[in-house]
Amino acid sequence: MTSTATRAAAGISSGRRSVSRLALGLLGSAVVLGVVCVLSLAVGNKYVPPGDVWNALVHPGTSYADTVIASRIPRTVLGLLVGAALAVAGGIMQGLTRNPLADPGLFGVNTGAAAAIVSATAVGWGGATSVWVALPGAFAAVVVVYLIGSGRGPATPVRLVLAGVVVSALLAAYIQAITLSLPAVFDAYRFWVIGSLAGRNPHLILDVLPFIVVGLALALALSGSLNALALGDDTARALGAHVGRTRLLGALATTLLCAAATAAVGPISFVGLAVPHIVRSVTGADHRWLLPYCVVAGPALLLAADILGRIIVSPGELMVGVVTAFIGGPILVLAVRRMRAGA
Amino acid sequence: MSVTALRAGDWLSLPVRPRSVIIACALAVGIIVVAVLSLTLGRLGIALGDLAPAILGQSTGPDAIVFEVLRGPRLTVGIAAGAAFGASGALFQTVTRNPLGSPDVIGLTSGAAAGAAAFGLLWTGILPLPAGALVGALAAMALVWLGTGRGFSSPARMLLVGIGVSAMALAFVQYVITRVGLQQATVLASFLSGSLASRTWGDAVIIWVSVAVLLPCALLTSRRLQLMEMGDEQADALGARSGATRGWVVLIAIGLATAGVSVAGPVAFIALTAPQIARRLTRSAGPNLVLSALMGAWLLALADLLTQQSPFAVQLPVGVLTAVIGGIYLGYLLVAQWKKGTV
Amino acid sequence: MEASASPGGHGGQPRSRLAALGLRLAYDHRVVVPDLSVEIPDGGFTIIVGPNACGKSTLLKALSRTLKPEAGTVLLEGAPIDTYRSKAVARQLAMLPQSPIAPESITVRDLVARGRYPHQGLLRQWTSADEVAVTGALESTASTELADRYVAELSGGQRQRVWIAMVLAQQADLLLLDEPTTFLDIAHQYEVLELCSRLHAEGRTLVAVLHDLNQAARYATNLVVMKAGRIVAEGDPREVLTAELVEDVFGLPCVIIPDPEAGTPLVVAKVPA
Repeated sequence: MTSTATRAAAGISSGRRSVSRLALGLLGSAVVLGVVCVLSLAVGNKYVPPGDVWNALVHPGTSYADTVIASRIPRTVLGLLVGAALAVAGGIMQGLTRNPLADPGLFGVNTGAAAAIVSATAVGWGGATSVWVALPGAFAAVVVVYLIGSGRGPATPVRLVLAGVVVSALLAAYIQAITLSLPAVFDAYRFWVIGSLAGRNPHLILDVLPFIVVGLALALALSGSLNALALGDDTARALGAHVGRTRLLGALATTLLCAAATAAVGPISFVGLAVPHIVRSVTGADHRWLLPYCVVAGPALLLAADILGRIIVSPGELMVGVVTAFIGGPILVLAVRRMRAGA
Repeated sequence: MSVTALRAGDWLSLPVRPRSVIIACALAVGIIVVAVLSLTLGRLGIALGDLAPAILGQSTGPDAIVFEVLRGPRLTVGIAAGAAFGASGALFQTVTRNPLGSPDVIGLTSGAAAGAAAFGLLWTGILPLPAGALVGALAAMALVWLGTGRGFSSPARMLLVGIGVSAMALAFVQYVITRVGLQQATVLASFLSGSLASRTWGDAVIIWVSVAVLLPCALLTSRRLQLMEMGDEQADALGARSGATRGWVVLIAIGLATAGVSVAGPVAFIALTAPQIARRLTRSAGPNLVLSALMGAWLLALADLLTQQSPFAVQLPVGVLTAVIGGIYLGYLLVAQWKKGTV
Repeated sequence: MEASASPGGHGGQPRSRLAALGLRLAYDHRVVVPDLSVEIPDGGFTIIVGPNACGKSTLLKALSRTLKPEAGTVLLEGAPIDTYRSKAVARQLAMLPQSPIAPESITVRDLVARGRYPHQGLLRQWTSADEVAVTGALESTASTELADRYVAELSGGQRQRVWIAMVLAQQADLLLLDEPTTFLDIAHQYEVLELCSRLHAEGRTLVAVLHDLNQAARYATNLVVMKAGRIVAEGDPREVLTAELVEDVFGLPCVIIPDPEAGTPLVVAKVPA
């Protein structure tokens, strides 16, 4: 991937978005994320003032407040990891398909992971919701989508999306068949299928961490190529980018990130679609800024949604998957209304 | 080599396509065959000789129950609902000029699901589900109408807003499924896959009347739809008033799909695949409304027959089967188109 | 069942059946044509030319009533075009837009047959008159052997002929064509233009938008030159097309010489100094 291509393609976003302003913005967003994290530890059934939060983190003790904080640490960390993973996966997917409204689940990744988890539960596998089950399922789904999409000729974005529709539909039918035939599986599945940061096994964090880290690193490394890809396959090739390889690696990164995220917290909608979309209005289409912003903005949105879920139906809790759907839906509608006419 | 026409003096002349007529007759025969099989097969099946009396209400004993309660209503509902879905899909695909157009993608079926879930939450039992589906579908369409900012005039916007409405509806449904007991959750999930179980003659009346009213309305627009296939400008130039026609067609399509969804739940894929298969068989352009309806009726009745006679211990909802059939067919369709190079 | 005829008809043939008065045309409040009036001479072959985005296609769409003007009127037979029922207009005026969409798996015959819609009713959907019109249209465009083939399989030139056949099947006297030659190779471009010339010779009034100045000069009886939404010149190409005009409208320094074959003006770009 030559630097010419990167620079040429980054011409998309030059102009009033100077590097220093973008860097400042990123820093600012990181600060916002920090605040959200503190809130995530502070807010809930028992409100803990931020001062005590700091104390509890730095000098962990055994007071009631400390245990409450300790119980919220896993969900906050999960929110950080999963939010970053989903947002970046969405950014890649939107770059790969050249569609600003693409969702990382388009290639069947989430359904594949879910199908694998359901199958494992059905056969009574103890560690059914582990990343070691979700990941092969997600990969298998993406591979099938790629095979169908590459039937005869190159795997263009349109073909991959359509193939993704087919595979997702078949897998969804499979999941329905299993869950409706086996009540025990259904009972477990119906709670898992709504993404939630709560009630998850903290060991999952260590399991998914390597996958998410590798996925994020791969994604950031692909930024330049994704910029070139945005100009169309032929132009990208003319600029020296490897279109096929970029698509493959991009799909790999998306799969790793989505599978890990789904395995950890269940399927969460709209973060992958909405966050890159919103971030793009600030950073422009340059992936070298878009993706890092996603790493910060994704968790901010997800944790904010989680906090909201704790507040809205207090003393109960609304799962974050439900909240993101009800935030993302209206965001999408607003985006549609602002679309230029003739669309 | 000229166009065959049905003529009556000077005041009537209708073009007739021999191939389409033959296929329509074949489908009608196919529906009858499937109907007979549905009533006669299996442990509880009515013997062929006793079929006529049972249908005419002259028999007593087990045959009467099998026809009156168990299989009769579900068969008649299935045929009409399938026709409604098939016609609705044909209308959507023609008016959006997109082979993937269907009432599912604009949020209608998920809205129905959410409505059913809401009613199921408020009132226990099976009865409220179809009513809820009706209310939910209408509510979803109202949201889409408001959300696009310009009503139903732009299918592309309807699609995007539909995605948002779908996501919210589905999140709501999933949430409800976690809030109710396992028993009720299973019933709800079953309905939400599209099920013909426990249908009543009342349901049959609803759907047959809806189809009898709406299908002729749709047929009145079919010539203008044919012209709209060539683009709005060309259609307007020929005098077809594409804007007004589009509005009517969308309303009729929504009406048909809503009727179908309220009696059968969100059955997957019939609206998507029936028109495509019909078109492939007749090898002709145009909305092919009657054939899509017949194909939809046959597919749904067949799928229900297979569901009832399947060797699995638990009867799966018919929607699972239609999703599998539909998914496979869609995959084949895409691969075939790619080999031809038309995607 | 015939729609309203032209109201207020006075004796004598109007010089221009199709005219526009004070047109203001816009797409979503973006004004393309601020104020334009034009009369299309009957029995002529009017060709509209101009640089990109000058509003020529927009004007054609307004003339065919597929685009509603923000202000001003289009007159057909002396009456505002929107007082007619759409089908009635389609019986007098036919338009071929720039990129018509051919539905999947449609045969040539079926496509041409769709042009008969303005003459058909609910009960009379395929009369012998329709039959005759379609056969005639296919013959006029030399597409009779293509009748049972799928439109998608045809070459660019053949497809364009078939679209013109569909427009002919409408049996309208006024034909509006939006860039009928744009995606064709050079031989097919002239094939289509010769076909148009023949249709014109048979008595029809044609209005076409063309990109190529030289083709326009060769075939037009009435050349309309537009720039930025206004008509800057109108009339016989031999009188209208001057080097000054071309330089002013298109920004191209040139010389005009007589076409060695047709005698019409030929624009030759100057070599930059």
